[in-house]
Amino acid sequence: MIIKSSTDEIQNYLVDASNFRGYCDAIYIPSGTMEVMNILKEANNKKQKVTVAGNGTGLTGGRVPQGGIVLSTEKMKNIIEINSEHKFAVVEPAVILKDFQDKVREYNLLYPPDPTEGNCFIGGTIATNASGEKTFKYGSTRVYVNKLEIVLADGDLLKLERGRSISEEYKLNLKTESGKEYRIEIPVIDMPLTKNAAGYYCKKNMDAIDLFVGSEGTLGVIIKAELKLVPYPEKIISCIIFFNNEKDGLNFVFDARDKSYRTRNKKSTANIDALALEFLDENSLNFIKEDYPQIPANVKAAVWFEQEVNSSNEEILLEQWMQLINLHNGDEESAWFAANEKEKKNLEEFRYKIALKVTDYLAQYNVNKLGTDMAVPNERFNEFYYFCTEEMKKNKFNYVAYGHFGNSHLHLNLLPRNESEYEKGKIIYKGIYTKAIELGGTVSAEHGIGKIKTDYLLEMYGEKVLREMAKIKKQLDPNLILGYGNIFKESFLK
Amino acid sequence: MNIAVCVSHVPDTATKIKIGDDNKTINKAGVTYIINPYDEFAVEEALTWKEKAGGDSKITILSVGGDSNKETIRKALAMGADDGILLKDDNPRDSMGIAKALSKEIKSHKFDVVFCGKQSVDYDAGAVPQMLAEFLDYSCATVVVALKMDGNKIIAEREVEGGREVVELELPAVIGAQKGLNEPRYASLKGIMSAKKKTIEEKPAAQAENLSEIIKMYSPPAKQSGRILGTDASAVPELVRLLREEAKVI
Ligand SMILES: Cc1cc2nc3c(=O)[nH]c(=O)nc-3n(C[C@H](O)[C@H](O)[C@H](O)COP(=O)(O)OP(=O)(O)OC[C@H]3O[C@@H](n4cnc5c(N)ncnc54)[C@H](O)[C@@H]3O)c2cc1C
Repeated sequence: MIIKSSTDEIQNYLVDASNFRGYCDAIYIPSGTMEVMNILKEANNKKQKVTVAGNGTGLTGGRVPQGGIVLSTEKMKNIIEINSEHKFAVVEPAVILKDFQDKVREYNLLYPPDPTEGNCFIGGTIATNASGEKTFKYGSTRVYVNKLEIVLADGDLLKLERGRSISEEYKLNLKTESGKEYRIEIPVIDMPLTKNAAGYYCKKNMDAIDLFVGSEGTLGVIIKAELKLVPYPEKIISCIIFFNNEKDGLNFVFDARDKSYRTRNKKSTANIDALALEFLDENSLNFIKEDYPQIPANVKAAVWFEQEVNSSNEEILLEQWMQLINLHNGDEESAWFAANEKEKKNLEEFRYKIALKVTDYLAQYNVNKLGTDMAVPNERFNEFYYFCTEEMKKNKFNYVAYGHFGNSHLHLNLLPRNESEYEKGKIIYKGIYTKAIELGGTVSAEHGIGKIKTDYLLEMYGEKVLREMAKIKKQLDPNLILGYGNIFKESFLK
Repeated sequence: MNIAVCVSHVPDTATKIKIGDDNKTINKAGVTYIINPYDEFAVEEALTWKEKAGGDSKITILSVGGDSNKETIRKALAMGADDGILLKDDNPRDSMGIAKALSKEIKSHKFDVVFCGKQSVDYDAGAVPQMLAEFLDYSCATVVVALKMDGNKIIAEREVEGGREVVELELPAVIGAQKGLNEPRYASLKGIMSAKKKTIEEKPAAQAENLSEIIKMYSPPAKQSGRILGTDASAVPELVRLLREEAKVI
């Protein structure tokens, strides 16, 4: 085990990609399960706060400590097994997502969760229930977690396997390796009908594993996971289309989304069924124009789509996409079509660039992230999008709007240039999340709540539900040492 | 204007190359192939020339190699080229063998200009454009980063060590494209669809004996793993000393 405590050495652990900053006494870097258990046992005895750190790409300050120690998983980075016959892999938490994806590709397998930032740790993606471009078709991280090994706050080990511990209605029983039992009451709530990473997963007859996926380091340390893999598609077509009218771009997305749903329900293989459906508004395109001078002049929106094809349906599908592009006045002459693997990667990078530039912007102006991670039910998305962009225009605030629009999920990033603009932005932001909640949406679809979105979660679920969620936390972690400040405001932990 | 572009089909620059058991070829398992990146500049240049010249200008793509080269020819067709010809030979050829096959075909067409990449990133010999010009008796400029048409002449800027060289050439000419010449376009959906429908003409590549032979292929020595001198500011003086005295970079 490595322990770091000099100011220089711990700097990097006091921040994440949201630019939210914290403080702590030391960084503990265990190299295996036993060490994790010992660190937690000791901290629990001392009632010392422990913040779990992945690779720090989080956007909500989740891994940023508020005193105590940081437990960094970085040394636990082995891929233990890839089983191509039964299509699963067993990994330690600090395996880097994109390396893992490249590795399973060698076995002709795909691990679908693909947050735009591929440098995150798999442990981090499980802790935040991350999702990405392919979530439109394949769902979020949760779906791919078969088994978990978790060290609880008192150092006890909990092993979970999907299908093995299901709650009886809202009563969930857990049994640790040492034989300790927990009887947990799951709050009775309606989770939004969208993808969601806000608060604990709570459902009637739910799987215990789902409580821990997305728990943001507040219930335990994930030290091992078995993940489900799927066959790698025979071929993926990838294309960016530009629109001279924003509305056309949006309608194109909605139409492609609806067509994809219809295809999935009927299980036909020669109809549009997008893998990814991403949107970038005019501001976003201008924001990255210096990196991509080839972006055509005067365009108002771009849509990036991917579609799985095989040799028998490729031509029909290309034909169908072309018709859809024409129907919505997309410019197919200026479209960028990836003709090989390398170009496909280039298009992914194009989409990554916008997210990356926002992160750079925050660091440059030294302001915290003020970006929406909200999703609303599909039928309300159009209304939500226009509400948000109108708000921004009305307030003459700089912003970029892009995101996983196939999932009705908007990343609208406000771009304040200083602290006073940031404060002003926060007021606009409040109006936006209030609207998302009113439309039946979520305040976080994929980044989680961390420390910077606790207010919004409270607004979304209300005090009673949060108290019930906090009760689960207090049962599993009575000394409140884990992930202090994540998900719950301090007042809920008393 | 009648334009030819010669393209080669090379391993993706992002793949890790492993050397085969014979120590003379690469292990092709799991390697994806792409159009040679310098050839993309050549195709793009041909497209802009065609657009400027208008009329019944035509671009023909030529490639020497096996069936899989058709994928790269199609990529160029999808970008907007008109015809494709595969000069088929499943056996590996050296630069001379490739240049001979290309020149034989080019002679029968009367092309005004032939664009190539300045080199192919598989073997990096950087010899085909020059050899081709010699066999055809065309003028030639390689490592070209800017091009202008001026009547029957071409003004080309070449990248040379530490600067640029401006040369004037007569048509017909062979041009070897360098990075920076232009920004290659992506294929459009329409381009992809029409490229799928086009037939690529296939002919045996003209006979030619290889004049060079690969005796051995080996990987460069593995990079030495880094040394951690310390993780805080106290390591800086030692780092500076090593950079100065050992690595001699400052
Ligand atoms: C440019 C950019 C684009 C992004 N795009 C997306 C996107 O498309 N989709 C998306 O979902 N996210 C996205 N993110 C956010 C981020 O990449 C994800 O949240 C990622 O899952 C975080 O992983 P990490 O290893 O960096 O975790 P960290 O930031 O280190 O930690 C995140 C949270 O997980 C907890 N945690 C980490 N490891 C463990 C563990 N082993 N056990 C228990 N708790 C743990 C931490 O305590 C913290 O609360 C993006 C970020 C950036 C910078």
